[in-house]
Amino acid sequence: MSNKLLKMTISRLPPAALTLKQFLQRQKILSLYRNMLRAIRQVPDATDRKYLTDWAREEFKRNKDATNQDAIRMMITQANMHLEDLKRSLALAKS
Amino acid sequence: MASRALAQCVRSLGRSSARLTQGRVVTRSFCAPLVSIQRPFSAISCNQRTKWTELIRISGSAGQPCRRYGDLPPLTLESIRDRVIYVLKLYDKINPEKLQKTSHFMKDLGLDSLDQVEIIMAMEDEFGFEIPDAEAEKLMTPEEIVQYIAEKKDVYD
Repeated sequence: MSNKLLKMTISRLPPAALTLKQFLQRQKILSLYRNMLRAIRQVPDATDRKYLTDWAREEFKRNKDATNQDAIRMMITQANMHLEDLKRSLALAKS
Repeated sequence: MASRALAQCVRSLGRSSARLTQGRVVTRSFCAPLVSIQRPFSAISCNQRTKWTELIRISGSAGQPCRRYGDLPPLTLESIRDRVIYVLKLYDKINPEKLQKTSHFMKDLGLDSLDQVEIIMAMEDEFGFEIPDAEAEKLMTPEEIVQYIAEKKDVYD
């Protein structure tokens, strides 16, 4: 009975729906992108700001069709490292 | 000291005006120039009093409605809508002719989730407050953005 119910709920989902893991990963990447843009906004020089915005945008868009879980996880780590770097240099520039 | 000088000034003024009304010929309007004459006299006689009158003059001018102290003109639903549409038209990936109040960013305008994040950030810049992630994900049409901002800024009409 419960098995039948489970099958019914699954079949109601559209075929292109994300799994929970993918959904959470998507959420994480979007918030990473937002944080990145927020950090870049604090860069004082206008041309640098433009360059960095374009760079972040391009980097995220280039990999938007990636499906390999491990590759995606690696890219998230890499983006986090870039974000940390950026924040550190911003803090140094301010002090 | 200042209060005593003031009291003396008022008393002398009262006496002089009483004398004037005794004559009955002089109307009350004549009293006004008398007051203005009296003021500079007392100001010269006591330094502290000039400061006091200065203070009154400043606080009097502050009551005029010409200064807003950095406050912006009040938002209305119309002005919010205009600004939202204006920001969206400036965004390079949106075709301004296709843009409608109810067009969906992904379905109708062909944007992706990254573009949507950028749009919400642009709205934050324009209206000067931060939109949390959970709310930002749900804003998918210009009209929804307008409603959300109106709610946050307490604009109802």
